[in-house]
Formats: sequence, C-alpha cells, structure tokens
Amino acid sequence: MKTGKLRVPSNDLSKRVLTEVGFEDRLEGFRLRERSGPITVTMYSFAEVVSLLNDPHPRLDFKQLEEWIRSVMGDTDLAKHIAQAIKKGNNDQERTFSIRDLMEERLSQCGMEGHHEENII
Amino acid sequence: MNGYAGKILRINLTDRRISTIDTKEYEQWVGGHGMGSAIFWDLVKDKTISGFYPENIVTVMTSPLSGTLVPGASARTEVQGIGIQSYPIEWFTRSNFGGRFAPMLKYAGWDGIVIEGKADKPVWVDIRNEDVKVKDARHLWGLDTWKTQEMIWREVGGRGYGGWVELSSEERTTQRPAVLAIGPAGENLSRIACLVHDAGNASGQGGFGAIWGSKNLKAISVIGTGSIQIADPKGLMESRLWAQVKYGTDLKNLDASWFSKFGRRKPQNLFWDKHERARLQACIGCHQGCKERSDTGYGNESTCEETSFYQGYDKWKHGGRQTSAAYIAADLLQRYGINAYEASRGLTYIRALQKMGILGRGKRLKCDLDFEKIGEVEFADHYLKLIAYRQGIGDDFGEGFVRASKRWGRLEEDLKTGVLPYPYWGFPEHGYDPRAEVEWGYGSILGDRDINEHDFNPFFWWPSGAIWAGKTPQPPAEQVAKIVAEKLIPYENDPLMLDFSTDNIYSEHMAKLVAWHRHYTRFWKQSVLYCDNRWAEFINSKVPDYRGLTGDGEQRFFNAVTGKKFSFLDGMEMGRKIWNLDNAIWTLQGRHRDMVHFSDYIYHVPYGGSGNFSMYYLPGREKGKWDYIRVNGRCLDKGRFEEFKTKFYNLEGWDTRSGWPKRRTLESLDLKSIADELERNKKLGA
Repeated sequence: MKTGKLRVPSNDLSKRVLTEVGFEDRLEGFRLRERSGPITVTMYSFAEVVSLLNDPHPRLDFKQLEEWIRSVMGDTDLAKHIAQAIKKGNNDQERTFSIRDLMEERLSQCGMEGHHEENII
Repeated sequence: MNGYAGKILRINLTDRRISTIDTKEYEQWVGGHGMGSAIFWDLVKDKTISGFYPENIVTVMTSPLSGTLVPGASARTEVQGIGIQSYPIEWFTRSNFGGRFAPMLKYAGWDGIVIEGKADKPVWVDIRNEDVKVKDARHLWGLDTWKTQEMIWREVGGRGYGGWVELSSEERTTQRPAVLAIGPAGENLSRIACLVHDAGNASGQGGFGAIWGSKNLKAISVIGTGSIQIADPKGLMESRLWAQVKYGTDLKNLDASWFSKFGRRKPQNLFWDKHERARLQACIGCHQGCKERSDTGYGNESTCEETSFYQGYDKWKHGGRQTSAAYIAADLLQRYGINAYEASRGLTYIRALQKMGILGRGKRLKCDLDFEKIGEVEFADHYLKLIAYRQGIGDDFGEGFVRASKRWGRLEEDLKTGVLPYPYWGFPEHGYDPRAEVEWGYGSILGDRDINEHDFNPFFWWPSGAIWAGKTPQPPAEQVAKIVAEKLIPYENDPLMLDFSTDNIYSEHMAKLVAWHRHYTRFWKQSVLYCDNRWAEFINSKVPDYRGLTGDGEQRFFNAVTGKKFSFLDGMEMGRKIWNLDNAIWTLQGRHRDMVHFSDYIYHVPYGGSGNFSMYYLPGREKGKWDYIRVNGRCLDKGRFEEFKTKFYNLEGWDTRSGWPKRRTLESLDLKSIADELERNKKLGA
C-alpha cells in the first residue's frame, strides 16, 4: 500500500468511511469473468468498493465513484485525488490501480486494513 | 447403429413399470435434445400442464458421441421436460450437465431415460447394465446430494475405491456408479432446485430438482460394463490427433494458445482465487478439464457461477483476502442442490430490500438473516437453508425470486427499476446483458430460458480486457467478423451479423446471427452434445490465420463415430428442425409474440450507467469503420425490438403476427404431424 497522499481524516469522516450507506446511496460496479460476463456488484460501503478494485477484473465508472466519494462520503480530499488519478491515467487499468491505492490508504487511515494482489490481465 | 446403445429406458414411477423404446424409432432426431423433444411431443399429450403434474415427463438423454473419445463431447447429458422455474409460463425447457453419467448410461446399454408418473413414496432407480430396479429411498430422503451419492455407492459397490463391482458372473468393473440426485431443495419443491451428479455437475436451469422431488424420485444410479460401437475407430483417433495438433494447447509454447476455446492455455473455468494445491479434473473423454480438486477438499469440481456466488462477500468481509468461505458456500449449493445463479442474484436482491428497510427483523418482510455476517459461512448456510427447507420467508425464496417478488407485491416495480435483475422469463441475468450482447438476450427471450451458450462471448472478453489495459486487441474486429462470418453456414459471408453497433442490433443481419445460434446449439451442442466450454470455436490464436475448429470439426468427429455422412449444413438444418419442434411445443403452451418482451428495465435503464468507462466491447462499425466498440451505457428500444422480432419470424418462416410456426415451414422440415396438431389447436401460423 502506498501512503502519504491524503490528509489525515477527521473522526467524522472516518466514521462515514466505515459505515454502510443506504439503498439510495449505493454504488454499482462490475467484476468481469470470461464465462459469465460482467457480474453486477452492488456496493453499500467504502470497503466493498476497495474489495472490488482488488478484483483481477474490476470495472467501475470512475467519475461516478469520484462523485460518490465527494457527496456520499463527504471526502473532498480523496475525491480531488481521484479526479487527478482519472486525468493522469493512460487507461482504465492504471486508473484502477491508482484509485485503489488511494482508497486503501484512506481505509487504513480510518483503521481498517485493505489488501491487494497484483491485477493480471 | 454405430454410436448408439440401441434402446432407451422408460420408467413409469406410478406403477414402477420398466419398458424400453427402440432408439431406432427416434434415430432421425440423432440424440440428446432432438430425441428428448420428440419423445416429449409423443408422450405428453396435454402440453399445457404444470411441470409438477405426474403427467409431465423428464427425459435424460445421451448422444451417439457420449462415452467415446470425441474431445469435449463424451460426457454431457441433456435433461428436458416442462420446467417450473420460468415465469409466467412454465415452459418446456432444457438443461445439461457433465461428469460421468452419460458415458456410464451408454456403457450400461441405454441411450437415454424417460421418467414418467409419480411414485407413491420416495424411490431411487438402480441401473446395473440391463438390470433396472425402482427401490425404496426412504432412508435417503432428507440427505444432501453428496451423502445420497455416497450411500448409493456403498450400496452398489461396497466401501472403498478400486474394488470390483460384480454385475453378473461375466460382468464386473472397478468403476463407481454414476449417480444423479436431488438434495433438500428438490425434496421441498423449490423451483430453483438442481439435479447434482458427483461433487459439482449440476443440471441447474429449469428446476428439475423439484420436478424429481414432486415425483418422489431421489436419485438414479447407473453402472455399466459395455462399450460403444464406433464406425471408424481409426478415423476417430486420427481426427482427435488432427484436432490436438492443429487446435490443441501448444504445451511447448503456451503463449501461442493465448486464445482458444478448444485448446486453452488456462483450461479451468473458475472465478474464485484458486487453491494453491489442486489438480485439474475433467469429464470423461475431455481433452482438457475445466474443474479442479484441491488438497483442502473444499470447492471440488465446482465451476462457473457457483465459484463466484460468495467470493465477493468473502473477500470484502475478510479485508480483501479470500477464505474458505467462498469454497464452502459453493459446496453448500451443491449439497442442498440449489441453482447458483438464482442464489447469487437473489442475494443481491434481498440485500437491496434489506437496505430499503423492507426486509429484515421486524420489517414487513420478516427475515432473520443476519446481514452483518454476510461473507461468513454461517450466513451462507442460513441463506441457502432457507431456500432448501423453505422455512419462514424461505418459502418465498424457494419459489425463485421473481415469484417471491410477486408474492411480496413488488414484481412490477422491481422489474421496472432493475433492482430485480431478471430480464427474461423469470430467469436471472447472466452477465451477458441483453442491452449489450444482444444475441444472448434475443436468443433467451425467443426461447425458454437464459441460453447459457458462450459461442460469441470471446469477442467480448479479449477486447474488453485489452482496451481496459490500454492495449490494442488482436486480431482486429474486421478480421474477426470476416473469419466468423465464413463459418456461419447457411448465412455465411455476411460480416454484418457480427456488428453489435446500436444501428445494427435490430437488423436482419442480427436476426440471422440469432437464428444461426439457435440452430447450431440445438443440434451440435444440445443434441450431439458438444460441450459449451470447448465448442463452438471460431478463433484459435495458435492457428496462423486464426481460423478455429468450428465448421470442420463437428461433422468430422460425428461421422467417424456414426458412419453417417453428415455435413455441417446438415447439422444446422437438423438444428432448425428441432428449434421448430420446440417452438411448436411453446406455441401449444401459450406462446404468442405479444408476450415476447424483456423486463421493463432493459428498455429504460442504461446498462452500466453512463457507459463512459471501459467495460464491454464487441465488434461493430462506427461511421462505416470496424472496431471494437463500447456497448455498455445503452438500453434496448422496445419499438425497434418489435421490428426485430418481425424480421426474425420472417427469417424462420413463422407467422409475423403471432410468432407461430407455419404449415409450409413445418412441412418443409418433414414435420407435417406437428403442423396438424397445431392446426387442431387453432395455433398454426397463417
């Protein structure tokens, strides 16, 4: 896990990051598999998003994620870094890795460890 | 009759009468699905009955290639009858599974089994070559599918492995019987119950587990010592070697086999994180093997959706690390005998209802599942037990989640928003969403179930992976469309059949692709029983011009076994005939074009939201130029889909107002008696 990009979160923000959201605030992504196609993943927590990004074949609308981080999680600092990662990435794989690292850093700051393996395509 | 055992076993459970059908009576239908549909047509006079009625039959059919050395074609068993999973009508349907059952049935001297009636108490069927007995199964009732099989193995073959099983003074074998069984879900008539064979081969779609349960049939066991007459053994071996050398995995240069269905670099069909120590496991006769057995003993032989069912929850709950929970949850699916797709999509659905505050402890829909424990074995077991034993709200779950939603008064709303992701006939979405990969969705809604036929999905997989990673997919889309189009006999050399752009998905080109797919799979994959995992193969990266095995291989193996002189086109025409027979059955069951619609969300909710991210790519044309184009982010247009249906019905020679087969079409396929029956029922297309 890369660290040091994000400001230390407030207690309120940490609590939000570790709390599940309601139905209206859910986020959708996909896990791709060769024999089943994209499997829809409905996510209700920050940690679930991190878990998806650690899948070998995750797919996510990064703009939607950035907005979700900003408005639902209230994490403007992370949202700003995600926006930069979207801009800097040459492709969605690079964006996935950068955003995953950022979100893992935030999760770790909030007291929950993430874990990732190398994505292989 | 080369390739055939020569007779079909007929079991009437009501009076326990055993009789035989001469396979020759149905040889024109070749095997598998074709024979099953024809037998169903002849034996089930009233096709409008519920699948739960004793008058419904279940056919369990092999093919001439079953039990032979034809690669990826020896082990599939086709199951048919009126299913009880589809909604709103219980369509005549199919399912199929691998393993050892079909070969063993052939070695015992049978080309198939027809199950009729209903036993007055639980029974199992014990087949030892010619000797067939219907036996008391009260001691097996209540056991899961694995325990049931173990008990029968002991009863037939004694304890341990490798010992001789004496079938007569001159017939003995070291094999264990092949057993097909139901678990508690089937006994309790869950509409999403499966038939399970060995550890992880399931006949999943259609709810056949519950149909057996309704017939008080716990299991069928078969053990045989015979063999199968091959017309041209030398030709068969030469064909197998030809396929291996030209299309099989290049073991000295694995990278050359980076894409192939037939000769895979990584043959396993597993979605979870693989075991550290495991070995490949294959169905009889398969040249590759897509399953595994591991040193942990967990997750053995499970593939595909059951290996995905719980993995995401397991990893999320355990900090990104997969534990044994994902494997054990798959084992529970197999043991209880539950359809993995329904369990998976159903869990997504009830979790949404829980989040909405509708379902849970003290909520309108009372449910004592502890969602805090999702990801743990305890939760999976509780959830699957609810389905299997139908206790409390589990009685609704056991109906399948579309019927459950109907009971809860939510069906219309949840199909409109897509919270209930069931696009066609009450079946859960597969992943190849109708809004993106239309041939899958169209084939499903024009048929009876989620088709689960992966023939064209490779053209999604590698471009979608490559573009996501910033690479240029090879071979280019135009070349792929050309290679595939050459093989789409009798509609060959129309590359626009592979154009998945929004402008083209309602065209006659796409209608031809869907028709080709229906005909190909009905014959080559569901009647001859080539495995969906290895066939059709259009593209093979090891072959210099990328041209895969399909179009050359199917008939070559078939003719070597049977001695017939079938062309690929002959097979396609047989597929069209079987497809027409199936449509005649659905017509009698109440099918009309006016009911052939996707769920509302398919027309109103864009697939994957904005579509502004790399997810789903397929070949297509943009501004007249071929490329891999992004197909997520779109809906289907209901009006244009209506136009598509008209084009499709025209192409098939069916009445465009009703969707019913016409006499001229049926008679051209030598199906005059079918046309007569439709006419008697005032359901013949005009």
